[in-house]
Amino acid sequence: MTEIESLRPIAAVLISVVGTLAILAAHRRPNFREAVTLVVSVGKFGIVASMIPGVLAGDVYVWSLGSFVADIPFALRVDSLGLLFAMLASLLWIITSLYSIGYMRGLDEHGQTRYFASFAMSLSAAIGIAFSPNLIVLYVFYEVLTVATYPLVAHDETAESRAAGRKYLAYTFGGGVAVLAGSVFVYWLTGTVTFSSGGIAELAASDPAFARAAFALLAAGFGVKAGLMPLHSWLPDAMVAPTPVSGLLHAVAVVKSGVFGISRVVLDVYGPETVAELGVGLPLAAVATVTLLAASVIALRKDHLKRRLAYSTVSQLSYIVLGLSILSPEAITGGLLHIPAHAFMKLTLFFCAGIIHVETHTDYISEMAGIGKRMPVTMAAFAVASAGMAGIPLIAGFVSKFYILVGTVSTGDYVFAVALLVSGVLNIAYFWPVVYQAFFQSSEAHDAKPLVENPLGGATRSNSPRSDGGRPIDDEEDTEAPATDDEDDIAVEDAEADAGEDPELDPEDLGRPDFSGQATERDYSDPAPLVDGEYAVDRNPSDAMIDEEPDTTEDGETSHTERDDPVDVDRGDDTHADHDHHGGPPAGGWDRRGWLGQESTWFMLGPILVAMTGSVALGLVPHAAVFLRLIDDIVSTALTLGVVF
Amino acid sequence: MIELLATRWAYATFVFVMATGLYMMIASPNLVKKVIGLNLFQSAVFLFFIASAYVAGGSPAIVSSESTGPYVSPLPHVIVLTAIVVGVSLTAVALALIVRIYREYGTLDEGVLREVVDD
Amino acid sequence: MTDVVLPLLIAVPILAAVAPLLLSLRTSETGWYVAAVATAVEAGLAAVVLSAVYDGARLVHAVGGYPAPYGIELVGDGLSAPVVALIAVVSVGVVAFAYTGGPRRNSFYSAFLLLVGGLMGVSVTGDLFNMFVFLEITGLATYALVAADRSDRSAVAALKYLILGTMGASFFIIGVGYAFISTGTLNMVDLSSRLAGQYTARPVLASFAFIVVGLGLKAALFPLHTWQPDAYTYASDTVTTFISALVSTVAAYAIARVILTVFTVAFFEAAPLARWAVLTFATVSILAGGLLAVVQSEVKRMFAYSSVSQFGLVIAAFALATPDSVLGGVVHLVGHGLMKGGLFAAAAILAATHGARTVDDYARLGYRSPVVAGVVAVLGLALVGIPPSIGFLGKYYIAVGAVRAGAWPVALVVFLSTLLTLAYVARLLERLYFASPDAAPAPSLDAALADGGETEGESGADAAAPASSNAGDTRTVRSVSVGMIAVVGLAAVAVVALGFVSPGFETLLEPFLGGVFP
Repeated sequence: MTEIESLRPIAAVLISVVGTLAILAAHRRPNFREAVTLVVSVGKFGIVASMIPGVLAGDVYVWSLGSFVADIPFALRVDSLGLLFAMLASLLWIITSLYSIGYMRGLDEHGQTRYFASFAMSLSAAIGIAFSPNLIVLYVFYEVLTVATYPLVAHDETAESRAAGRKYLAYTFGGGVAVLAGSVFVYWLTGTVTFSSGGIAELAASDPAFARAAFALLAAGFGVKAGLMPLHSWLPDAMVAPTPVSGLLHAVAVVKSGVFGISRVVLDVYGPETVAELGVGLPLAAVATVTLLAASVIALRKDHLKRRLAYSTVSQLSYIVLGLSILSPEAITGGLLHIPAHAFMKLTLFFCAGIIHVETHTDYISEMAGIGKRMPVTMAAFAVASAGMAGIPLIAGFVSKFYILVGTVSTGDYVFAVALLVSGVLNIAYFWPVVYQAFFQSSEAHDAKPLVENPLGGATRSNSPRSDGGRPIDDEEDTEAPATDDEDDIAVEDAEADAGEDPELDPEDLGRPDFSGQATERDYSDPAPLVDGEYAVDRNPSDAMIDEEPDTTEDGETSHTERDDPVDVDRGDDTHADHDHHGGPPAGGWDRRGWLGQESTWFMLGPILVAMTGSVALGLVPHAAVFLRLIDDIVSTALTLGVVF
Repeated sequence: MIELLATRWAYATFVFVMATGLYMMIASPNLVKKVIGLNLFQSAVFLFFIASAYVAGGSPAIVSSESTGPYVSPLPHVIVLTAIVVGVSLTAVALALIVRIYREYGTLDEGVLREVVDD
Repeated sequence: MTDVVLPLLIAVPILAAVAPLLLSLRTSETGWYVAAVATAVEAGLAAVVLSAVYDGARLVHAVGGYPAPYGIELVGDGLSAPVVALIAVVSVGVVAFAYTGGPRRNSFYSAFLLLVGGLMGVSVTGDLFNMFVFLEITGLATYALVAADRSDRSAVAALKYLILGTMGASFFIIGVGYAFISTGTLNMVDLSSRLAGQYTARPVLASFAFIVVGLGLKAALFPLHTWQPDAYTYASDTVTTFISALVSTVAAYAIARVILTVFTVAFFEAAPLARWAVLTFATVSILAGGLLAVVQSEVKRMFAYSSVSQFGLVIAAFALATPDSVLGGVVHLVGHGLMKGGLFAAAAILAATHGARTVDDYARLGYRSPVVAGVVAVLGLALVGIPPSIGFLGKYYIAVGAVRAGAWPVALVVFLSTLLTLAYVARLLERLYFASPDAAPAPSLDAALADGGETEGESGADAAAPASSNAGDTRTVRSVSVGMIAVVGLAAVAVVALGFVSPGFETLLEPFLGGVFP
């Protein structure tokens, strides 16, 4: 292993700092500004990729500025683990930039300069984290990452996003402080904080109590960003950020920097042998397992799509931590492979959620029935990616999960193997319904969501008004139906006086149509009774009708009532009475769009398809896709022996 | 205790005067009295230095043909002189500030001042 | 021969302080030029001292030719050189700032130069009583400067500071008195050798206690800090910038000097209670200052409480008395001076441009004054300890020192202080950039400002008066110029750049640390 002095590591970090400045300077010319982002991202990936052949051949690229604090140098060092993360982050930044352009322009968002500038800075920090040669440089870039991503989390500038931003800062800085404390401990115990393959030798010889304390501090500090329970709760709240942010940063860069930190600690600070000797691997694996299962169970109950994806992320990240803490070669390989695998798949899923938001303003799964008609390519990609999440072969998630399973079984930790399999089932349980209802159900007749809250076998719901006038409960419906409709109409009109919902209005107060699905005996051969010379439904026409359906005067206006929080859908904490949302299918159901990209712009569809293809490629040819080769290299240098325990 | 006071009565006085000055600074509401208390405090410190410099049967620190015996060190006296000067200038600045406060607020009472300032 | 620099450091500003008063017989508003020349000379002298000490020399000058211990010695070593440099740099910066912003009265610059002289005196003196004299010169000049804007509230604040500060100085002199009667000398090096046998004697312990309490009052440690929020808040903005960076700094330097040179580490070993008392004092200060800062709504007051917290950190570092923590203490002392001075200067600019005095007033100023708000962000994050910055450097060394000394509660508090500082800094930053648009005050002067525009220069030159809402606020600087923004920008750059200079600090302090820790 030769060390090559090179400027490429620092160039990879600094190119997007230059990009940040250029973006800030170009704030008045959006096209130029976006071009800067794209050029810089391609450039960054180019620099990172140029180092692949060297690293695979066993060389290491280094760059140093000299002593930074105490005798710890400020340097950058590109080895296979760092290159793994850097490649992932820089490659996915390219497609996320394209997606961001489509997303931000599609929503005509404010503050785009700040957004793109912070994005570029965050990627710079992420590459810095990847190339850190010691704990202190890692800490430096870790904190810079937090600072750079904060403006992205609080982007919307609403009270909710400010609160989410504050929570994010509190958690991640707390994590940073724990990392610093752990690094100080390691420095005190051993006199060095440099990453060494197989671990820092002196750490094995130092006082076990302090070594364990340092490990706990480092694991907790990195675990905040890696979403280990109970330090994960910033992640679902951070979903108020725009979707590309949620995708790249919270499913790929920020959270992956947390697991990257844990992998550095396990492999290069302590080393697998020391971790085993100190006995800290097992508690970490236990925490990861609990997170795996608990997050999956929580995800089942979430109706907001992005939150469900957030809990899925929390769960999947723990696969990585579990793999790392089992300490056998296959488990570590699987854990590390899951870093890119999950990244590609989760990015696809988030991009799908985002494109749905842009095109239809729909955020809730219960409103997405039949959306496969409107967004076929998107939902197809969603289906592929969620299959991968569940561990279906041919997609990336299967390969990594297989390795981890083999690893747990080979060390005799059957508990973890069972947990992984249960988690796979849970993954299917919370992703499959989304896909199924998109393609095989329609907005008129679909299962009430979330499935776990409703009777076994499903309860049929509809997002559209019934074209036959409704189904009252008993015989007196002829006289009562108009009356209830009147109340509904008036209440609906009050609520929609400003072409938007009154945030304070509790949906429970509005009249509830009955969806019990019981048969009626109403005779539909006669027209509905007139009240004061007009139909009840015409008396207070709604002004919030969707343009695509101009002829639904009779039932168009009631569509809002049914759309808001129909009876029996428990959103848990996803109450959207306070959101200014108008999502869900238009009256009459979703439009049909073709499979050739008519559903949205290619700015967004392209990245989705690329990410999906990436996850399939990783599933089919993981070695050829470089990542697995890098990982084999990492694992073989980290473990001098074979199976550890 | 009694012989302590008898032999080191100067230091006891120092403590007593210091405590009185401190009490005046804390307890009296009038600003000028606070400054007087500050002066008392500082005077107590001077007393401390001078008392510590006392040499029984000592002669002044001037060498002449008939002086013998222990000489009193001039250093503490120099210290006290310097400190007196410092104290005087501080008192001057304090009184100037008090004059301005009185002109602006019309009161020298600390309680009234606190209410008036907090508007 | 370079040791002549030391008395010049003190003499130049004090002599120059007379000039504006003399000149005011003929002209007015020439004081600035005198101050500019004097501080430039000071900067040159400080550079000479710094480079000499960096090369390993220890400058000693016997004033008047009287040798120590009979005469007064001036010493420039690894501990005093950084402080001297800080004083010189901040003086130059504040004078540059005051060209457009500050008062231009001659009397102001007389007091200013006296203050510089006093600060330099405290930093280079090697005699304990001489330190008292210079501390009082510093104090007097500061009391006068705090009241310089001729408003009523600043007079009350100045009086409060005077009374408390004099008490602090009196405690200091009592402590010096006890040390004197135990040893018969006032020279610091001589004291250290003569105190050596009697560390547990009561007068010596009493001396240490009085000195530390007295200096702690001057450095505004909790619970002796009560003068500081009022003094910083009600003084005029230029004055606050200067005194926040330097006055408490030299008091903390004095504590370090007393602990490390006069009493030495051996004293702490003989009387461990002394060390634990100071550590407790300092640690409580860190927490109390941070907590009090979080609940403040006025920005200057918030920064004042922040100083209480940061000085707690510095004194804790010196009280730990290990090589790492002392290095960290010095680094943080210098760094805090730059950061806090820069923050107050930036706050002054924002107050003048937008009339923003409270945290609420800062809503969305990040877009209306992007450069200055950016400086606030950088300096605030450096204060929290985000790398790379001098704030991180200091904190890291102090944390390593605490862990190495086995002082776990102190280490824990050092780490927690990061989060506490974050609490009030993040509040400010969130307000600057992410406040909801309806919370922002309507633009008063800069209605034509577009997103991302930087028009301080134009609006400053055109609109000399501060925003109308604070017409009666005498603290505000007269107007804002590009030069002032450049000064605060330089402060931010320096704070980040110094974060990479740790080898420099280590070289600078190595001889000193070698002498203190045999």
